[in-house]
Amino acid sequence: MTKYKGYMGRVLFVDLTEKTFSEFPWTDKDRERTLGGKIMAADILLHHITPEMKAFDEDNWIVVTTGPLTGCGCPNTSRFNISTVSPLTNIVTSSNCGGDFGLSLKRAGYDAVIFSGRSEEPVTVHITSDNVEFESASELWGLTTGETQEKLSEYKGRLVIGPAGENKVLYACVFSNERTAGRGGVGAVFGDKKLKAVTAVGTKLPEIANEEKLKEFNVKWTKLLKTHPLTGRQLPKLGSAGLIAPMQAHSILATKNFSAGRFDGFEKVSGEELAENHLVSNGACTGCVIRCARRVNVDGKVVKGPELETLGLFGPNILNDDIEKILKWNYELDELGMDAISCAGSIAFAMELAEKGVHDFGVHFGETDNISSVFEDIAYRRGEGNYIADGSKRMSDFFGGKEYAINAKGMELAAYEPRHAVGQGLGYATANRGGCHLNAGYMVVVEGLGLDVNSLTPHGKAAIGIMFQNLMECISAAGSCMFTSYAVLPGFLIAKPNMLATKVILACFPYVGPVVNLLSHFTKVPQINIPLLPHAIAVKLATGMKSNMAKFLTWGAYGWNAERMANIILGQKAGADKLPKRLTEELQDPNNPKTKVPLEKMKKVFYRARGWKDGIPTWHRLKTLGFDIDKSVYDKAVAAARTED
Amino acid sequence: MAKVTVKLFGVYRVDTHIANTEIDAQKLSDVLDELNKMAVGENKSSIAFADATVFINGEHCKKKKQKLNDGDEIWLLSPASGG
Repeated sequence: MTKYKGYMGRVLFVDLTEKTFSEFPWTDKDRERTLGGKIMAADILLHHITPEMKAFDEDNWIVVTTGPLTGCGCPNTSRFNISTVSPLTNIVTSSNCGGDFGLSLKRAGYDAVIFSGRSEEPVTVHITSDNVEFESASELWGLTTGETQEKLSEYKGRLVIGPAGENKVLYACVFSNERTAGRGGVGAVFGDKKLKAVTAVGTKLPEIANEEKLKEFNVKWTKLLKTHPLTGRQLPKLGSAGLIAPMQAHSILATKNFSAGRFDGFEKVSGEELAENHLVSNGACTGCVIRCARRVNVDGKVVKGPELETLGLFGPNILNDDIEKILKWNYELDELGMDAISCAGSIAFAMELAEKGVHDFGVHFGETDNISSVFEDIAYRRGEGNYIADGSKRMSDFFGGKEYAINAKGMELAAYEPRHAVGQGLGYATANRGGCHLNAGYMVVVEGLGLDVNSLTPHGKAAIGIMFQNLMECISAAGSCMFTSYAVLPGFLIAKPNMLATKVILACFPYVGPVVNLLSHFTKVPQINIPLLPHAIAVKLATGMKSNMAKFLTWGAYGWNAERMANIILGQKAGADKLPKRLTEELQDPNNPKTKVPLEKMKKVFYRARGWKDGIPTWHRLKTLGFDIDKSVYDKAVAAARTED
Repeated sequence: MAKVTVKLFGVYRVDTHIANTEIDAQKLSDVLDELNKMAVGENKSSIAFADATVFINGEHCKKKKQKLNDGDEIWLLSPASGG
């Protein structure tokens, strides 16, 4: 139990081998150190994993965590997290989802659930407040995600996998309602454990430390989100798909396997095209006031529409300008249970290998008639699809082409071409889970899309990137949607880009690195709450725990270092923060020498600011942040990380 | 006077229902003024073309007094985020 409100105070531990369950010890000290969500999961995994543990080892755990704000009535706080050792990257992955499962888990009385072991037969786990039932999933095995959820429709909180998860496609995902824990292959780990589905139901709700004040505060927070130019206008009107046109303008729209940043047919696959000609209605995660999700018509059925990543990576990146096909593919991918980003990135890489005459996988740039059948081949691991199911890194290990296999640490990059947004490039390379735009610190929103900061200069990017990485880590851990973090940027900087004050402030951005570093490191300084970081105030009102901007930066830094140390113990090498040579050595614009990612130069600044050496946290940094890991474990892991591959 | 093509993106397009239009103008500010006159729709009062991010022939342009040439293609973009 816990003295803090906001939490349910219990963590469930489920042994799939023995079909038993128990309570996992988690104390208030642990809560104070990690807050919740992905930071809590990283800490649990850090203390559990052993050197060289692999995703499909029986000992690998799936850790599903919620944040303290989930269930407390705050806007956009139904998000939950799934962390595990990833089969795609062999390091920790954390995948965030906006489905109903997180809220339902709390209603069942738990803040988190850990799955260990492996069932011999397909199993569905039913969680209630006083029991856990293990039911055979033999009749569900083989069904798509939609079919499985239909069979389990009596349960509000659901987690399910589709055929891709069952067949251990390395980027298989997990569904909760229409929302997805998409990245890093968490669905494949479910499949390996024969865990077809999990349900959670209950009637409990967390107590609130200061209920009246939180209610008042939530009204203000909702108003902030609804009036901010990004969360109140652009996202509801155009969804994340609204980024296609600005990405084209700023030359960061990944095209033809990241060989270019602009695509002539971009308008046909844009957010405007989606909004004007295909949008049936907006959709939303539970409790969301932004409502950025798109609902579209596919073959007479209203289904979830594509996000920016799917439009970009199955559009320009494979030279396709047919949006109707992307709508259909998005639905098919969801039903099979595969991550659209990694699937598209792997197909684009296969197309380039075919174009270069290395190996013909049956997929070619601009040819799209067979993509649906390729999805089936991937999900069921048939023929050439079996190679593509393993992702671009393993394909490049086997066939070559590493310099244009567009992944970081084995995870395919999102749709932002980083040679025209070099801070985003640094983020991709350093992100703990691999080529993720959000874990990267989402610098593109500063480098042109939201703010007009010089996108080609490396100056200031490391410091600002670290601050965003830490804040977003903590915002996620609180249970909030990452998109609420955009409201951290003052509205006038975004809505009034041509105002003199905006121009002056943005011109200074590249030079604020030292100040930002001071704030990040000497956390006695920002012991304040600011209106633009409402999450910190809400945590204080909901839980009664001390919370402010400094705490958020510290929690975020703890999470970042916990995931990084777990990765080092799992065998990540010192030089792992890298990008394919296409992005660091080939110019996007042959006439502009700045259009490549100056990664090595930026990494030095980044590591110094993080208190890392060669990508590894120093012992001093870990102690400063309050880590309690064994020094001998640390020394052994660091020594192994410094050996050659 | 130069005849230029103007393309609206983001909330500008969704709010005004204007995707593409041709305008006779000498400089960029003339285009923005003309768009203000053309804008219709329920959200007209919230549309501020002066706040748009502008690209002319693929190049970012921050000068409102930028002179225009026949055949120029002007893009007006609103700020965006997503993921």
